[in-house]
Amino acid sequence: MNKDIQVSISQKDDVSILNIKGDVTAITGESIEQAYQKVSTGGAKKILLYFDQDGYINSGGIAILIGIASESRKNGQTVRMTGLSGHFQKIFNMVGLTKYTEIFQTEELALKDF
Amino acid sequence: MMADNRVELHIPSIMGFEKVAMECSASVAKKMGFTEDRIEDLKTAVAEACLNAIEHGNKLDTSTKVGVTLTVGETKLQVAVKDEGKGVGEISPPSIENKMEGKDKPRGWGLFLIKNLINEVTFEPSPEGGNITKMVIYLEK
Repeated sequence: MNKDIQVSISQKDDVSILNIKGDVTAITGESIEQAYQKVSTGGAKKILLYFDQDGYINSGGIAILIGIASESRKNGQTVRMTGLSGHFQKIFNMVGLTKYTEIFQTEELALKDF
Repeated sequence: MMADNRVELHIPSIMGFEKVAMECSASVAKKMGFTEDRIEDLKTAVAEACLNAIEHGNKLDTSTKVGVTLTVGETKLQVAVKDEGKGVGEISPPSIENKMEGKDKPRGWGLFLIKNLINEVTFEPSPEGGNITKMVIYLEK
């Protein structure tokens, strides 16, 4: 059941975009962490996590994202998020993740003034 | 299996199978007339209760099962999630600040989410052994 995610990396100007298609869980999190490490190693300072509106995110996935948010602070990176459903925007607010990574309604808004 | 107003299912103690219980709960809630927002809340709560049962209750032992019973009421839906474990003690509420600073592990949000998304939640031992997480969500009028 570990075929539930696809993570690809794209670049728009100086922003590295992690396109996350599928579920964000403790099981699939390794793919996201690997993509994050790859862009970090490449010197990325601006990172956009672009989620799948229909994806399933659980507490294990939230922990993965907290780990990335924490590491990005140490690395002096800015991480933004987009593509989240209203429910998961609410969940991320609830746990406090949005204190550290801002959510944008569209990719265009997320990239503006990054 | 459906008996009167109840739906029962058993899922293996394998991560990922919580989605089966989650989708089943969503189908029942939709049939009852819950709003899309509340169905999303229910889905997350059921998934987290099943994950706790799989991981902490049954310790990922694939010879065990997690039982999920949905009881349909006129104004509410109760979801009982039963594991075969010894239960976990009281867990202090998670702190995003501590997790961001590396003082706590980033995990540990399951109970927090359940308590914040569902109207009522109780944890009790099962007479046959194991533990039951009972969650109630009310239809909003």
